[in-house]
Amino acid sequence: MFGLEIRNVSKAYGPLLAVDDVSLSIPQGQFVCFLGPSGCGKTTLLRIIAGLEPAGAGAIVLNGKDITTQGANARQFGMVFQSLALFPHLSVCDNVAFSLRLRGVDQKTRRARVDELLSLVRLPGMASRSISQLSGGQRQRVAIARALAQEPPVFLLDEPFSALDAKLREEMQAELRELQKRLKITTILVTHDQREAMSMADDIAVMGEGRIQQYGVPLSLYREPANRFVANFLGLSNLLPVEILCRDRVRLGEAVIAVAPMAEPHARGVATLSIRPEDVLLTLDAPDATSLPGLILAVRDMGSSVEVRLDCHGHQVLCVLQPRDWAGAAAGSTVKVGFPAQQCRVLAA
Amino acid sequence: MTTQRRDSLALSVLLSAPAVFLLTLSVVPVLLLLQLSVAHHAEGGLWSPGFELSQYAQLLNPEFLKVAAFSFGLAIVTALITVTIAFPAAYFITRMRRRTQVAWLVGLLSTLSLSEVLVVFAFQVLLSGGGGLVKALVTLGVMAQPQSLYPNVAAVLVCLVYLVLPYIILFLYPALSRLDDDLPAAAATMGASPPRIFVSVTAPLVRGSLFSAFLLVIIFTVGSYLTPLVLGRPQHWTIGILINNAAMGTGNLPLAAAQAVALVLIMAVLFGLARGLGRARDASE
Repeated sequence: MFGLEIRNVSKAYGPLLAVDDVSLSIPQGQFVCFLGPSGCGKTTLLRIIAGLEPAGAGAIVLNGKDITTQGANARQFGMVFQSLALFPHLSVCDNVAFSLRLRGVDQKTRRARVDELLSLVRLPGMASRSISQLSGGQRQRVAIARALAQEPPVFLLDEPFSALDAKLREEMQAELRELQKRLKITTILVTHDQREAMSMADDIAVMGEGRIQQYGVPLSLYREPANRFVANFLGLSNLLPVEILCRDRVRLGEAVIAVAPMAEPHARGVATLSIRPEDVLLTLDAPDATSLPGLILAVRDMGSSVEVRLDCHGHQVLCVLQPRDWAGAAAGSTVKVGFPAQQCRVLAA
Repeated sequence: MTTQRRDSLALSVLLSAPAVFLLTLSVVPVLLLLQLSVAHHAEGGLWSPGFELSQYAQLLNPEFLKVAAFSFGLAIVTALITVTIAFPAAYFITRMRRRTQVAWLVGLLSTLSLSEVLVVFAFQVLLSGGGGLVKALVTLGVMAQPQSLYPNVAAVLVCLVYLVLPYIILFLYPALSRLDDDLPAAAATMGASPPRIFVSVTAPLVRGSLFSAFLLVIIFTVGSYLTPLVLGRPQHWTIGILINNAAMGTGNLPLAAAQAVALVLIMAVLFGLARGLGRARDASE
């Protein structure tokens, strides 16, 4: 197949298993995010793909060819490092042209290609600057241009935007996504920022404890998290301990709650109910059999949304509302809390 | 009085102590040395104040020039060998685990507690015909007959390198540990082989430190005295030994002073050249 395949890759550092039997197929031209908390093995996996770190076990296959034993300098995957790793002793031009120089491209062609790349990342006329004269966002762009200069088969980025302020970060994310779509280059971006992953990726691999916890389209991961880890890491989730009654009913405290019918037959017993804060319904009516009474603990009005923290049968529930849906109850009052069945997911405890 | 003026007054007072210290311990002795170097020489190690340049004229004799040239040659060769050994050593130490690094640094620091005299005489014993090294070489069949490994220029070089190596490793250590591991990794992802990474990335980044280390060895060794005296032959003597001979042997203090001034001047010229080269290089980048 065309694209990148990761087959049963593992990597241990002493007793610590940093990457645990990871398999993944990334079709040519796809934009994939490795999303996970620090220490989940995402950067190690990226470095194994780049060839900077040998895989302990498994194989890396590019367009059907096994490249596991090739070093980074043979694979030549373009990579943007978290530190950017721009060469401080070279100018912008020499940084971008580094890979071209290694290939013996003549100076005139080199210069033309550098100009082309710099205008691609919107830094025209900056070629003769030294790295220390650039701002954070400009350095970012130089690092991207440098990694793309060699026309890499795979483009890797390790938390490239973590040092930028929020506004610039969003601009750069949009620009990178645009650039990737135009160049149709297979791209892997490592991040711990779920907003970044959701807004950029075709597919997200949520990683935890060295394994891929779930792989798929951002929205399906958000709507249908496979386990507690994904539900909690990708956006906020209310995770409530429930008892399974039948295929589409669970008990939370004294209330019986209807849930989306479970796909595989679940054993009776304890499970976790996952519901997104924005899916929780909140009204001032009196609670009935299918809803719960909620005691308002705190209200945070953020202007664009309202966050209400509730206590339902001793469990904390977070509810996020649009301002126009918010009736304006004060902390201490009791409201009716509803969980729409289609938005309720039952996960293993 | 404004705060600023009070601050600058306080600063002047604070700085006056080291200034007085520097003045009395380095500037005044140099001035005395200069005065002595142009004084009249009298028999019996005496001298009378005056002004004559005959001592400086004596510096032009081929014998002194030969020794001066040898001293600098020795210092340059020592510097080349030392930096060549110290650079990879320091590099590998910075890439070790933290605890191993500390062990190495403590070990290196502890070798500095040995005095030069002790080290030189230890080398004399080690390299002698009855010494451990020669016995080992004979036992291994590398050497047919027990034979002293000194005096010769190689013995002088080995001992000088041993003396300055810990300083240079410790000098290079901070620069190399600051080296960002991502830079060579980035070069590798762009297709650079390990030797190419060293030439294009690592070496340029530490060039300044390597150059300073090189100069440092020259400063340490150009005035060396004991090592060439004990482990070398008379043809391996350095300016330091000549100065001692002039002062202590023939009692000609003004000549010794003139030789010392010449040594200082040559060093100053070399430093000027090195700085000039450094500036020109920075400007061209």
